[in-house]
Amino acid sequence: MGTAGVSAQDPPVNQYGAAVKAFRDRLDAYLAVHRKAAGTVPALKETDDPAKLTSREQAIGEAIRQLRPDAKAGDVFGTELAPRIRDIIKKDWARRSAADKAGLAEDMPPGSVADVNATYPPALPLATFPASLLASLPPLPEEIEYRFVGRHLILRDVKANIIIDVLPSVLPGART
Amino acid sequence: MRPVRLPIAAALLCAFVASAATAQEVSPPSAQDSVQFLAIGDTGTGDTAQQQVAAMMVKARAAFPFTFAIMMGDNLYGSERPQDYAKKFEIPYKPLLDAKVEFYASLGNHDDPNQRMYKPFNMNGQRFYTFKKGNVRFFALDSNYFDREQADWLEKALAAATEDWKICFFHHPLYSSGGRHGSEVDLRAALEPLFLKYGVQVVFAGHEHFYERLRPQKGILYFVNGGGAKLRSGDITKTAMTAVGFDADRSFMLVEIAGDVMTYQVLSRTGKRVDSGSFQRPVAAQSTDAPATRE
Repeated sequence: MGTAGVSAQDPPVNQYGAAVKAFRDRLDAYLAVHRKAAGTVPALKETDDPAKLTSREQAIGEAIRQLRPDAKAGDVFGTELAPRIRDIIKKDWARRSAADKAGLAEDMPPGSVADVNATYPPALPLATFPASLLASLPPLPEEIEYRFVGRHLILRDVKANIIIDVLPSVLPGART
Repeated sequence: MRPVRLPIAAALLCAFVASAATAQEVSPPSAQDSVQFLAIGDTGTGDTAQQQVAAMMVKARAAFPFTFAIMMGDNLYGSERPQDYAKKFEIPYKPLLDAKVEFYASLGNHDDPNQRMYKPFNMNGQRFYTFKKGNVRFFALDSNYFDREQADWLEKALAAATEDWKICFFHHPLYSSGGRHGSEVDLRAALEPLFLKYGVQVVFAGHEHFYERLRPQKGILYFVNGGGAKLRSGDITKTAMTAVGFDADRSFMLVEIAGDVMTYQVLSRTGKRVDSGSFQRPVAAQSTDAPATRE
């Protein structure tokens, strides 16, 4: 029996697992970019000077933009994983009460800010991400987090405060 | 810390409020060596109301000399430029900072997580962290983003804590009678089992812009304390779980822990006492029976 290639006799592949694995690989590739960008600015230590916080954040964000100028929506989520994530969110949303949905939508920033490589507007709140939904989604490295803006799911670089990918219109009925 | 210049208008306002209002309703601590702290939430507006509440805190400290403060998040609303840190934190609390009061912040939904690197917030560069004062172990959580990493950390930190008291503080209330937000049931499902398993006795939250003390829920005493600057007037719809609610003005809390007893007093912006009482530490920390409270 051959070991290379795929034949009708090969065991079935866990499609979701494969999609998550590919997602992790793309996250790793992004992290390499992040680290390269972060390496161009001095390391940040605790400081009582807020100017150092914001200037470093902006410098890393700008360096990342220069390292991936052609980044576009879907580059990190990928085509295999995106429908799975949509499905997870759709089911999570469906089981929530109207009051719960209203509460989540309450602090959600408008979806117009969700552009890849854009800075997440510092003056806007970060919508709280539901803990149970977070537990259902593929885990992320500490440098990146899921957030909702309007109806869209974004991946946000925490230290650079930029949007690195967008999965549009995943939430039904939320504010756009 | 960088020198802070107090704008003339803010200085005059603080002076006016401090002289016009009183803090006569503040009870002094029962013991000199007890743990005495200030609890504030949703403070970072930089507006007149925040300055007035801050001035009352300074006044109250003369009678109740707290040495540190815990912050329930939304430390800075809106933009977070260096001048915002000054306007929304450093200037209002300058008298307290000058008096070496330590502030321990948690993150709200309006806070950039990079605030964890801001030294006066004492977060040690972490979104979630723990610290000890006397016989009390405090746990500051990031309720905006309660991921597996944080859940794992919290469970280990709670398990390792040997202090008599375990107190958690964070932004979103697990129980609340607020009409705008209400109880965060999703977060409750993740946190409450850990609180019960490891004997957390008291929880402080904010997010709702009012004060509410809940009747102990499964033996845990919960406070909603998010009226440090903003106010959502009339937002409380009292329910069976409401012990005391105050949504008529801004407020802050003074807390003392002496041995097995925690006492609390809540003051409004004008110095009026709107709640006070004591809470006996449950003997069996993991009991689900309601512990004794006295108002």
